[in-house]
Amino acid sequence: MTSISTSADAVAAPPAIRVRRQTVSGVIALSLFVLVIVALSTMPWWAKTGTIRMVLELCCYIVAAQMWNMLAGYAGLVSVGQQAFIGVTGYAVFVLAQTFGINPFLAIPLALVVPALVAVPCYLLLHRLDGPYFAIGTWVVAEVFRLVASNLGWVNAGAGMSLAVMREYSGFERNVAMSVLCALMILVSIGGSYLFLSSRYGLALIAMRDNPVAASSQGINVGRLRFMIYVAAAVGCGFAGAVYFMAQLRINPPSAFDPMWSNVAIFIVMIGGIGTIEGVLIGALIYFVADRFFGEYGASYFVVLGVMTVLVALYARTGIWGMISKYWDAPWFPIRRHLLVERKDRA
Amino acid sequence: MTEVLSTHGLVAGYGDFQALYDVDVEVHEGEAVALIGANGAGKSTFLRAVMGLLPVAPDMVHFDGAPVGGTPTDRMVQKGVAIVPEGRRLFTGMSVSDNLRVAIDQSSRFERKGCWTLSRLYQLFPILEEKARTPVESLSGGQQQMVSIGRALLCQPRLLLCDEISLGLAPRVVREIYAALPEVRAQGTSVVLVEQDVGLAKSASDRLYCMLEGRVTLSGRSEEITREQIGEAYFGGGHAVG
Repeated sequence: MTSISTSADAVAAPPAIRVRRQTVSGVIALSLFVLVIVALSTMPWWAKTGTIRMVLELCCYIVAAQMWNMLAGYAGLVSVGQQAFIGVTGYAVFVLAQTFGINPFLAIPLALVVPALVAVPCYLLLHRLDGPYFAIGTWVVAEVFRLVASNLGWVNAGAGMSLAVMREYSGFERNVAMSVLCALMILVSIGGSYLFLSSRYGLALIAMRDNPVAASSQGINVGRLRFMIYVAAAVGCGFAGAVYFMAQLRINPPSAFDPMWSNVAIFIVMIGGIGTIEGVLIGALIYFVADRFFGEYGASYFVVLGVMTVLVALYARTGIWGMISKYWDAPWFPIRRHLLVERKDRA
Repeated sequence: MTEVLSTHGLVAGYGDFQALYDVDVEVHEGEAVALIGANGAGKSTFLRAVMGLLPVAPDMVHFDGAPVGGTPTDRMVQKGVAIVPEGRRLFTGMSVSDNLRVAIDQSSRFERKGCWTLSRLYQLFPILEEKARTPVESLSGGQQQMVSIGRALLCQPRLLLCDEISLGLAPRVVREIYAALPEVRAQGTSVVLVEQDVGLAKSASDRLYCMLEGRVTLSGRSEEITREQIGEAYFGGGHAVG
């Protein structure tokens, strides 16, 4: 069925297109990115434990936000239940390390299988829902997980678990592990997203976000691409959860399946600029700073964050990065390719 | 001439509403077939059903002699059917060339060979090359329609489905767009034109089908069908002719 008429074959020619992607700002950003990764992985030698913990938290927010960005900003899947995978993976690490006695640092990569496996049936249930129904569905799934964890004896039910095995490692060893994990998390989530978005899937994703029907009419398998993104986002969030709770040394159902994770991810992406990696980084920094300075105000602080998100959603949909790039076209992660047609092709 | 597309007793609808009743349509290789009819006659539904955007039984739609009814849309594109959807449905926020690249990327993924290249398309619609870096939402309606057609052609189709490509465009622009059709057909691509403008449909097609309330009420060679026959088939009161 793939063969086509001979008349067309006769004139078949490879498209004479050159693709230009890299920009000066992109090269600078890439060098900075490498620098950040190196800095992250060498933190124990230049940062205090407190700083490492703060950076780790920031990294977890960046990862969770970037995963939400891939879901909502590209795949068109608005989820408010990513905490389901954060919690499940966090628990998986505790169970593997504490209950089965596996090396806790080995437990993290092993635990990443769990969100992938859990995401498959979840998506099969959820993919029939559309828009706001999908969003509510994801929240329901996360709440179900919380309730199950609260009642499951072998994860110590509502009381939660402690990662006592970490006592076997010195503070410095733990810091090294946390730093390497931070670097790895950022490398995989930001670097991975960038590679994915600059592949041919990237444009297909953007097309799909704009108009799923038209995208499928261009030969894009929308269903499969959404499924892939959903599972990948589950694993990404799981990674953040695993690292976060390992650093916390304690996990219990309300903190593991805290809707706050999704709220923060949505805030970061909306403020920074949905559908861009740059936006996630900007948004995460803003949230992180705001949280340090205004976190003590509790509820009223969240009200302000919520109002800001709503205002951005209403009046500045492209977020801060969208406003910046309107005046200053210098992407840090250049995804757009420029097609340069060679004129010599067929007069 | 070999059949590229044929439908047999095609039935389709939306939920409880049945929009198509036993529709039999044939499209031969290199042929242009027009589908005319009033609003709600089922023309767009027909295209959607062929394209796999509506659930239909496999035997109801044959492409290249094989049953393909209900095949997912992306697979239909892979097989060689492309659609210029009603309302153009471009990817907003993307430039003209990015819109076109979506199609180029996918057809290269399927390894569909064909004669349509970007430079070839720019010869067909020179304005698109000029506007290659422009976001599609700032193009005129006619230019947008050209992007939509170009996007479909870059899927390297053997069968091109066009849903009301003249809708909302100035007559001069419509002529410009229709002038591209012979070039498309010269590549051996068959074309199905859904059209409200009967005169245009008649002149641009080899054969035409007139639909009314989900049924084919008239079919035949475009130059042989008279205005009176069309009038009767278009508004009802008559029975199937030809």
